[in-house]
This record gives sequence, C-alpha cells and structure tokens, in this order.
Amino acid sequence: MSIGKRPSASSESSSNSPPGERGGPADPVPAVVIDQAIAWAVKIDFNAPDTATQRAFDAWLGADPLHTTAWHRIQSLKHDFANLPPKLALDTLQAAQAKLIANGVSRRQMLKLLSIAGVIGAAGWIAGEQTPWQRLIADASTGTGERRALSLSDGTRLVLNTDTAVSIKLSGEQRVIVLRRGEMLATTGPDLGLPSRRPFWVNTSFGRMQALGTRFAVRLDGDDARVTVQEGAVEMHTANAGFSAIAHPGESWRLSAERLIRMSQSAFDPMGWTDGVIKARQMRLADLLVELSRYRRGRIFCDPAVADLPVSGIYQVGDTDRTLAFLAQTLRLRIDYRTRFWVTVGPADI
Amino acid sequence: MQPTFRACSVPTHDIASIAVHDLYSSHHRWLQGWLRKKLGSTWDAADLAQDTFLRVLLKRQAEVQQGLDAPRAYLRTIAGGLVVEHWRRRALEQAWLETLSLMPERHAPSPETRQMVLQALIGIDAMLDQLKPQVRAAFLWARLEALTCPQIAERLGVSLATAERYIATALRHCYALRFHD
Repeated sequence: MSIGKRPSASSESSSNSPPGERGGPADPVPAVVIDQAIAWAVKIDFNAPDTATQRAFDAWLGADPLHTTAWHRIQSLKHDFANLPPKLALDTLQAAQAKLIANGVSRRQMLKLLSIAGVIGAAGWIAGEQTPWQRLIADASTGTGERRALSLSDGTRLVLNTDTAVSIKLSGEQRVIVLRRGEMLATTGPDLGLPSRRPFWVNTSFGRMQALGTRFAVRLDGDDARVTVQEGAVEMHTANAGFSAIAHPGESWRLSAERLIRMSQSAFDPMGWTDGVIKARQMRLADLLVELSRYRRGRIFCDPAVADLPVSGIYQVGDTDRTLAFLAQTLRLRIDYRTRFWVTVGPADI
Repeated sequence: MQPTFRACSVPTHDIASIAVHDLYSSHHRWLQGWLRKKLGSTWDAADLAQDTFLRVLLKRQAEVQQGLDAPRAYLRTIAGGLVVEHWRRRALEQAWLETLSLMPERHAPSPETRQMVLQALIGIDAMLDQLKPQVRAAFLWARLEALTCPQIAERLGVSLATAERYIATALRHCYALRFHD
C-alpha cells in the first residue's frame, strides 16, 4: 500500500504516538478515526478502487499521522490470516461452523441451553458429525484457482472451474443442477436404475437449459450465461420473455434473461479451461488479463497503453504469476506487484 | 488447558484468593460432576473444572465478590462458556482432520504446519464466533478468497451496501478484540 508523503505535523493532538501502539483507556487513536480507516479499508482493500478513490485515500492517509496509525492498525488485522492455506482454512472454518449448525447448535442456542442445566449431553451433540460432508456433496464449490471433478449418482460428471458453486438435486422427477456462480462442464449420465431417464436441467439466474444427451459447458458472466456445446444438443430458455433455442455441437450462445444470441468465434477457446489453459487467438491483452485474474486471488489492473495489444497462444492458469512473468517477457511489459493481490501491468519503458 | 490449579502462579489479592479457595473446596466436586454430564468425559470434565477456577482467579475482585452471592450459578456461567469453547474447538479439530483427509497425501502439509494452521484457525474461529453467520462468511470470503464486496453481495444475494457493512462490522469487531481487550 503506498503511504504517500505526509505533511509535517498538521494535526493538533498526539502526533508523536508511535504507530501500532496497543489500545487501551489512553488510546491515542479516537474511534472516529478508526471508523474512517475501516471505511477506507472497505473501499481500498475490499473493492476495486478507481484512481480518484485511490487519490482521495492517499490524501486522507497523508492528512494526519493519526490516520496513518489507524490505517496500520487496520492493516495489521490481516496478520491473523497470513501464511494460512486459504482453501484449506476456508473449508475447515466453514465445515466447523456447519458441524455446529447441523447439530442445531448456534452459539446463542448453546449459551441458552447451557443455562438450563443438563438438557443436552455432549454425546448426542457429537453423534451427528458426518452431516457437513453430505452438505458439501449436495452443494459443491471450488475456490479461486481450483478445478474439481465430481461424479454424481446418475452417472453425470461435472467439472467445476475456478470459483464456482453448484447445487445438485438428483432426488426428484428431474435432475437439476443450479449453477450459482462460476463455470462448469457437464457430461450427462445415463441415469440407470430408474425406469426411464429423467430430464437433465441446468438452471441459472438468466435462464435454464435442458440437456439432450450431451457434453456442454456453462459459464456465468456479469450479464449473461455462456453455453457451449461439445456433443449432443442443449435447449435453452430465457428466464423472462419466453425465448428458447437449441445449441448444437461447436456452438456458443449467450443466454441473458431476455435474449438468446449465437456467438461468432470467441477470442479464446471456451473449453480451454478444462485443460487448465487459456487458448487465446488475437485476444486483447486486457481481456486476457481479466480471464487470467479469474484464477488468482486479488486483481490485475491493465494500463490502457497496453490494453489493446493482441495476444495469441496457450497460457497456463495453474501458476498465474509465472504466466504474468512470461507475458512480461514476450510482450515487453512491466508487472508491478503492489501487494500479492494487487498487480498492475503496463508498458516496460516507463 | 491448565493441568493443575495450585501450581499456577497468578498474582492474586489475598481476600479474593481465600474466597476462591473456599469456592474451590466447597464446589469443585459438584462442578466436575456438572461438567461430566455435559461433556460425557471424566477427563475433559476435570480439565475444564480446573480451568473454570483458574478463570475465577483471573477475574477482578469486585466481580468475584458479586459472584459469590450465588456461587454455583456463577461457576456454571463460567464453566458453560468453557464448554462452548471446548465444543467449537472440537468441531474445528474434526473439520481440520476431515479437510486434510480429503487431500491427496503428497500435497498434505507437514505435521508442524498442520499444528500451526490449526492453532491459527482456532484463533480466527474464536475471534469471529460472535459475528452473525452472514457477516462471518462475508469476512472469511474476503480474507481467504480475496472476494471483493460486489462479489460478496452477489454470492449472498444482498446489496453492495449491505456487503460493505458486513465487512466493516467484522473489521470493527476484530479491531476491538485486538486493541481494546
């Protein structure tokens, strides 16, 4: 984080207190300044700040040494999460919470129960320890940079791309996968063990689609879903307006809530991710970086000076730092790591 | 967990420490029985009973004096909090082992790393346990998946302003624990 140049002692109070000092009754940082620092952290660390915001933040930071102290303190809260394997940590913390909830025990309930002596025993509480994993199977997800293959009970195979979440309902008269975020490849299964094969649906917030014996990929973007069919066919229905169309092998369609549009050739192979790569053909560098940033934590900012550079090739998504370094070398770019999660790509000669 | 009560050298005020010794000799056996029913384990009950008295020793004198008006209710409140902590910790340890067991063996972290990560996770879990589930989830996604507020808003199906409020709430909570506790 750039701290900027601070003007000499512009504040009237406690400008000598060292940063990072522990709080207490004589805390040198007033609560109102901490609130400001938190509001800035939300804008800077947890959003994509534009240049104007960044500039306003730099001005705030430099305006008073107390601001700097408050900012350092808020930043120091990150240390609790430093050096943790993010995916494992998140899975564990969520599973632990699920264990408590699955057993009907939130903290407030636990405290309430505890005040009524002897109502529940720990043995009963610990007995249901398998529940979270059933939930995990019914509600599968991947973290950023992760890919995961699932085999479902009807023989369907799903591959989830980075940062994806699906709900799977195979118990009813229809098989329904709800794609909640991200991207997946479905290869529908024969659904044996039932008198007749049940319809296979994929639902998204933009509309739904029925697979007609097939292998196809669905990706959620901001405004629509992209459907690409490899084998068989997929019938798509918009969420509103009642449009439908059938996608055939080799075709990609955009499905929004109101429209269905067949796409001309895309700048990168929509199935490339299943091999862990971005296959780019004359793709704008800025677009490639957007694509690449799906596979890493944090953000990549592209300098407009290089945004339109055309890029072709096969880029690994497994190690995005290496891919960035490779791009820098081949395209004469400069990569600035402002933090691990905040990368700027610009021309090499500035 | 502290193994013995007498061995620990906690600075105490004389009157308070006498009061705690009385409390200990009159109610220790009862407390251990109460905990055993909760936990289903004699060993855990003995540990948590010791820990309860240790907490009492570390309390401020005024609070202990007040607690002595209803000694068993007072002990039950403190011990109850410890039981909850114990459960959370147990759930976290199990979840950690299960998470590790789902990993391919060659990717599994070393025993030292496992222990370090577990300790850090216990700290984080305790830090966030008073937050509402949505706030907790939002903050964990932001920290561990580097999700931005718009992404969190989308995932939770709430407005951007709400997602930002969740993050601010969590930050304020963590700040208070770290700098004012």
